[in-house]
Amino acid sequence: MNIKNEFTVSSPPDEVWAALMDLEGVAPCLPGAALTEQVGDEYRGTMSVKIGPLSAKYNGTVRYSETDEANRRAVIEANGKDARGQGTASAVITSTLSEEGGGTRVVVETDMKLTGRAAQFGRGGIAQDVAGKIMARFAECLEERVF
Amino acid sequence: MTEQAQKYVGGGVPRKEDPALVTGRATWTDNIKLPGMLHFAVLRSPIAHGKIKSIDASAALEMEGVHAVFTGEDLNGEMAAPLPCAWPVTPDMKHPAHYPLAADEVKHLGDGVAVVVADDRYIAKDALEFIDVDYEELPVVTNIEEALKDGSPLVHEEFGTNECYTWPMPVGDVDAAFEKADVVVKTRYIQQRLLPNPIEPRAVVVAPDPVNGGFTVYSSSQVPHILKSALSGICGVPEQKMRVIAPDVGGGFGQKLNVYAEEALGVILARKLGVPVKWVEERSESYLSSIHGRDQIQDLELAATSEGKILGLKVKLTADMGAYLQVFTPGIPLFGAFVFPGVYDFEAYTFECTGVFTNKTPTDAYRGAGRPEAAYGIERLIDELAREVGKDPAEVRRINFYEPFDEPTTTPAGIQYDSFNLQAAMDRLLELSDYESLREEQRRRRESGDPVQLGLGFSTYTEVSGLAPSQVLASLNAGGAGWEAATVRMLPSGKAEVVTGTSPHGQGHVTSWSQLAADALGISPDDVEVIHGDTATAPLGRDTYGSRSAPVGGVAVHLAAGKVVEKAKKIAAHMLEAAEGDIEFEGGRFSVAGSPDQGVTIQEVAGEAFLGVNLPEGMEPNLTADSSFDPPNFTFPFGAHLCVVEVDTETCRVKVRDYYAVDDCGPVINPIIADGQIHGGIAQGLAQALYEEAIYDEDGNLVTGSMMDYLVPGAPELPNYTLDRTVTPSPSNPLGVKGIGEAGTIGSPPAAINAIVDALSEYGIRHIDMPASPMRVFQAIQEAKGRSGGVQEADREGRPGQATDHQTNPGGESL
Repeated sequence: MNIKNEFTVSSPPDEVWAALMDLEGVAPCLPGAALTEQVGDEYRGTMSVKIGPLSAKYNGTVRYSETDEANRRAVIEANGKDARGQGTASAVITSTLSEEGGGTRVVVETDMKLTGRAAQFGRGGIAQDVAGKIMARFAECLEERVF
Repeated sequence: MTEQAQKYVGGGVPRKEDPALVTGRATWTDNIKLPGMLHFAVLRSPIAHGKIKSIDASAALEMEGVHAVFTGEDLNGEMAAPLPCAWPVTPDMKHPAHYPLAADEVKHLGDGVAVVVADDRYIAKDALEFIDVDYEELPVVTNIEEALKDGSPLVHEEFGTNECYTWPMPVGDVDAAFEKADVVVKTRYIQQRLLPNPIEPRAVVVAPDPVNGGFTVYSSSQVPHILKSALSGICGVPEQKMRVIAPDVGGGFGQKLNVYAEEALGVILARKLGVPVKWVEERSESYLSSIHGRDQIQDLELAATSEGKILGLKVKLTADMGAYLQVFTPGIPLFGAFVFPGVYDFEAYTFECTGVFTNKTPTDAYRGAGRPEAAYGIERLIDELAREVGKDPAEVRRINFYEPFDEPTTTPAGIQYDSFNLQAAMDRLLELSDYESLREEQRRRRESGDPVQLGLGFSTYTEVSGLAPSQVLASLNAGGAGWEAATVRMLPSGKAEVVTGTSPHGQGHVTSWSQLAADALGISPDDVEVIHGDTATAPLGRDTYGSRSAPVGGVAVHLAAGKVVEKAKKIAAHMLEAAEGDIEFEGGRFSVAGSPDQGVTIQEVAGEAFLGVNLPEGMEPNLTADSSFDPPNFTFPFGAHLCVVEVDTETCRVKVRDYYAVDDCGPVINPIIADGQIHGGIAQGLAQALYEEAIYDEDGNLVTGSMMDYLVPGAPELPNYTLDRTVTPSPSNPLGVKGIGEAGTIGSPPAAINAIVDALSEYGIRHIDMPASPMRVFQAIQEAKGRSGGVQEADREGRPGQATDHQTNPGGESL
């Protein structure tokens, strides 16, 4: 499942890039996400989501698999397993920053793979809608908190 | 037996079953509560394919109310045999071992992994969430064509292939027929995967018998007798120690014609724990763990003359088995081999079917089981042929119909149809529907550029019903035992008990069998008790499926009642001190020919037979008789259907405006019940044509995993049906009856699609795959107009067996 989100923030790309590189600083902006520990370049954490009548709490890992400062492109890999056996979620999240009118346009492309109940709930595009809402709140939070 | 007027057969006797059903007094399996009963729930795989690396159930076991947790490793060793497949269609068919719980590797979403036994079902379900399973995910294959390619992920590594079998049936010189053809129609149709939705999901209760040993199994099953034999073999319990009861059963549609993991688990758990156990399926669970229907690709070629006379047919099927073989999985598409030639008289025919494993829930019998698929193929083809040769589809059908016959006639598929008169059914259909006026309305709408176009779609079809002559089953490598048993016994009070081996799950057998027995015995249907669905009280039986009950089981009832009357006649002659040859039997009374005042009623004879005091020399007491009827042939009900649709070319919505059906199932035992079967059947077929599709994504997730996403139509989506019938008796049984349970489901999908294509034929549209959702209609119209239709869902060449519209089109159906 591919999901593309775009948003703009008023800060310039350099500042946004620096903020994005600080996973511990950014994580609280993602609704439902929390980092619990760091092991090498990998973080452990949890992500709680509610999709329609389903709630899932994924325990897993997240790390930067690629950071290309020159092109302002970062790839995050996240893998999680629902705490109550309801399936797994994994995502490769590619963020690309570009300047736009003094601020920054952030393009986030997510290749997400769900298993279990959340995946069986997907035909009406509900998972995509939920992801879109999460990203919108992430953008708002980023704007307020970091800048 | 003595000739007499039919009093109740053919009459609209109200269903005896209904008062209990409509007042909530029926006993479903879930209503059964036994002392000390525990409940179990099954942990199911959340992924389509993976190795089970570890299972940690310690947290679940600590929960209050949890009695036990078992895995495949714990239980599979206690089984005498894996779950059965009863139909090894070829000697080299690949047959994977299938256990109730996967021990090493899960093969499809919903595959059982562990079972929790708890005080109640809520605790059991909650505890599932505390079992930690570590999987190593393996590559997944869901598309049957991809599965056959080299390098595809393998569902069963040990076979080195996903091909389960290839079954060929060549008949006649097909190539010669194609060489002399003026017209060849070559096409590909998709039979989408369907989820059966009986109103009552599956349920099972198993109780150890503390007195005699063994087990009593209550199951929401169509097949208590088959289940008894199978569970005995799977669990290593002697057959005579196994009793299976199918209480009131809320629909089956073939989904409950099976032997399931949970039924075997129930026996094993009851044996292990020494207490009764219960499992009740949830709807979304049913979508993963109960068999699915259809799912095949049909590559078809039809050769014909320029007049539209069919010369030959080539059929190549690729059928999805799913991950395992259930009881009849590999054989279901092969029923199509006998139905593809349809009601059309031609010689040359080939059929080949390849069964394929995928990481999906197994398929098996779903209402019609192989026959709706085949009827759809030939009925769509003949409409394409009609368009090709520029004739009305009614006319092309007519020039290909068999001439009417009432004795068996051999078909291109090598079987014998029993009796046909399609001409009469078609004549009646055209009259009933006022076909000419409908065509006139269609012309008017086209000429005026009405955005709502009218479409007319025929389907003239037959089904193979009355499963099955034992010899034929044996010749197809499906064992045998296609007979059905009945016992009719008169009680001392003059009432009757009818014991049947058929197992109703909504079809109204109690009423119909009462009518048959009442007419044969000359008593009231109210005085007949029908005993069924319990292998202790009805020990012999082959159950209910394949529209077999009336032409096999009903006939057995009729024959047993006839034997009772024969014996009663001897007793009556003795009582009346007359010669047996002088005894007449009418309206339940035996009398002496020429002296109508001298007589005894069958009730009086029954009393005498019970007392045993005044019987003919050497005659045994009691008035009871058994019959086991093994049909000499299948029966072939047929029909002519016309579906009238309005297609809104702007919103792309299809409305079924009218539906006309003229069906012929021989003499009808109960017209209310027969009409009900046709109503439900048409609805189920229209559901396939317009609404339903089980969709898996490429990772093997069932994305139509609940009723929110799987569209089961309700009454508002369906038209009023206009029904009529013709009566062409079957020569295969003394009642002349043919099955009617699946007819509507077989007739209606092609009628609906033919109608939609007819409505849109002015755009040059030749085909729309099922379900003909507004999205598909929109795409077809866009493509016909030379515009991109967005998602290439309706592309017949490129469309995989299971397209996934949600991946590329998140909006789904909402366009």
